[in-house]
Amino acid sequence: MLNDRWLGVCAIGFAAFLFWFGRGLEAPFAYEPVGPRAFPMLLAAIICLCGLILLIKGGSPVAPNTPSAKFRILLMVAIIAAYGMLFQLLGFMIATALMTACVARLFGGTWLKSSIAGVVMGISFFYLFDRLLDVVLPSGILRAWL
Amino acid sequence: MSGVLDHLVLGFGVAASPVNLLLALVGAFFGTIVGVLPGLGPINGVAMLIPIAFAMNLPPESALILLAAVYVGAEYGGRITSILLNVPGEAASVMTTLDGYPLARQGLASVALSISAWSSFVGSFIGVVGIVFFAPILAKWALAFGPAEYFLLMVFAFCALTSLLGERPVKGVLAAMIGLSIATVGIDSNSGVYRYTFDIPNLADGMAFVVVVIGLFAVSEMLQMLENVLSGTSIDVPKSKRKLFNLKELAFTWWCTVRSGVMGFFIGVLPGAGASVASAVTYANEKRHYESKDPDAKFGRGDLRGVAAPEAANNASAVGSFIPMLTLGVPGSGTTAVMMGALSLYNITPGPALFESSPALVWGLIASLFIANLMLLLMNIPLVNIFASMLRVPPWLLVPGILVISYIGVYALHSATFDLGLVVAIGVVGYFLRKFGVPLPPLVLGVVLGDMMEQNLRRALSMTNGELSILWESNISKGLIFACLAIILVPIAYRKFKKLRAN
Repeated sequence: MLNDRWLGVCAIGFAAFLFWFGRGLEAPFAYEPVGPRAFPMLLAAIICLCGLILLIKGGSPVAPNTPSAKFRILLMVAIIAAYGMLFQLLGFMIATALMTACVARLFGGTWLKSSIAGVVMGISFFYLFDRLLDVVLPSGILRAWL
Repeated sequence: MSGVLDHLVLGFGVAASPVNLLLALVGAFFGTIVGVLPGLGPINGVAMLIPIAFAMNLPPESALILLAAVYVGAEYGGRITSILLNVPGEAASVMTTLDGYPLARQGLASVALSISAWSSFVGSFIGVVGIVFFAPILAKWALAFGPAEYFLLMVFAFCALTSLLGERPVKGVLAAMIGLSIATVGIDSNSGVYRYTFDIPNLADGMAFVVVVIGLFAVSEMLQMLENVLSGTSIDVPKSKRKLFNLKELAFTWWCTVRSGVMGFFIGVLPGAGASVASAVTYANEKRHYESKDPDAKFGRGDLRGVAAPEAANNASAVGSFIPMLTLGVPGSGTTAVMMGALSLYNITPGPALFESSPALVWGLIASLFIANLMLLLMNIPLVNIFASMLRVPPWLLVPGILVISYIGVYALHSATFDLGLVVAIGVVGYFLRKFGVPLPPLVLGVVLGDMMEQNLRRALSMTNGELSILWESNISKGLIFACLAIILVPIAYRKFKKLRAN
């Protein structure tokens, strides 16, 4: 069950992270009274304070997701992460077609509609952005043909 | 006076170039669509277009014109679904549902839509006139600001934004601090020290602002959409007898529109208080004003003034929120914070000097705000059914489309796969922050202001060799500290007072 206590714990964890990796920040030649370390340390202190308040006060529980929603969200994260990885590797057109087909499926499109949407979107967005609007996109494995 | 005229001539000259007119039209159209779609508001629309505008090599004034048109367009679009479906298209049009939807049920949908388009226009017009007169004055005044005053001004912006967001100020502060700590990543510009980069070369310049914003506002939004039952919304626009409001209705809503516009403008100028605050405050105000005098007022049951007031106010405040961004370099709302991030891509730092150094940018923007509003008024009355039909686009087409545009934008920045991975990670973090009810606008403001805030603090302390007293020495500083305390304490006191009276 997620509630403000957990948010408080995460905040304190984040503050500890900022503190731990920021404690050694020092300029080799200090010519100003406040170095590069002070500001992050100030932030860590305030975040820690917020975390403590949330931890002590607690409350405002978060409505839990249904298992199927959880599964869909995890799947979505996996798809968009894979899309990011394949964007340059396979090229914009193929990666986009694959991502669109999968995400459309996840949002309730049929296989046929999703695949058509994937192909159409991959091709049309490539020509729209790369050719018409001059936003360079990777052509990837289709380099020889584009 | 002639100075104002010269500036306006310059501005309209820039805004009336064919490219900029076309961009304003495209932006207004796209913005309206974004505003219509529930869940997507001005901040999402602007965030998606920034990197694309940058990658297309648009000059800065054209990019800003495009983004500003999207911003005001979204404020227009938000009202359409509020009236037709009782679903606010974006946060600032929540108040419009209260009277807009009952009116639509009574067969007056077209009248409500056209009068709200008109009052939106009047509101924006008031806002633009306000900018023309107040911005240069404020800019001149801001030239007296030293680093200490700037630091305090930014503190004030955070206080205003988190205090007005309401219920959980601790979460607002937490969000702002997370934003500020994101801004510390990268090489420290004063000392050249690498902070929180973990030897990753992609982080040496810091986390790109666009990556953070798209992660927070596009990716996490998509994840949240997956929670609910998924189906396209079907809409039946109730048939209405008349397409347009008549003169009687115009006169009926006129003073309420003007009053709300003026009030909305001043609320928008306050750093931090955005369009949603403006529409809520003016609606409550008009309701109280009329219900005490007019026994026939039907606020909440379909009163045209209940549609006109919040729409005039939210558009006026959207325009007004450009003032603190342009003159002080401290944005007045989440969306203008995002826009300021866009300017930083062009190495332009908004602030009082901007009026001297790039008048074409400032006045071109102001003129195109006016032109975009005129276009929106003309576009919105005949095309309202086309915009409403955007709701028929099923999510299975919409979501991949938004993702593709977002990814193109992020990739266009540095052509780096690393950024695409980072955007997913930030999206997941943003999703959890939303779940916990952490407001995201202060976070964005933190990312945008972080570097400036730290540099100004350090510069101020360098002047006194570390003596903290410089922070409250000048009169401007004292005033700002007083303003910070007031904006934090007044709402708390007001709530206590209301509770006491209720008992």
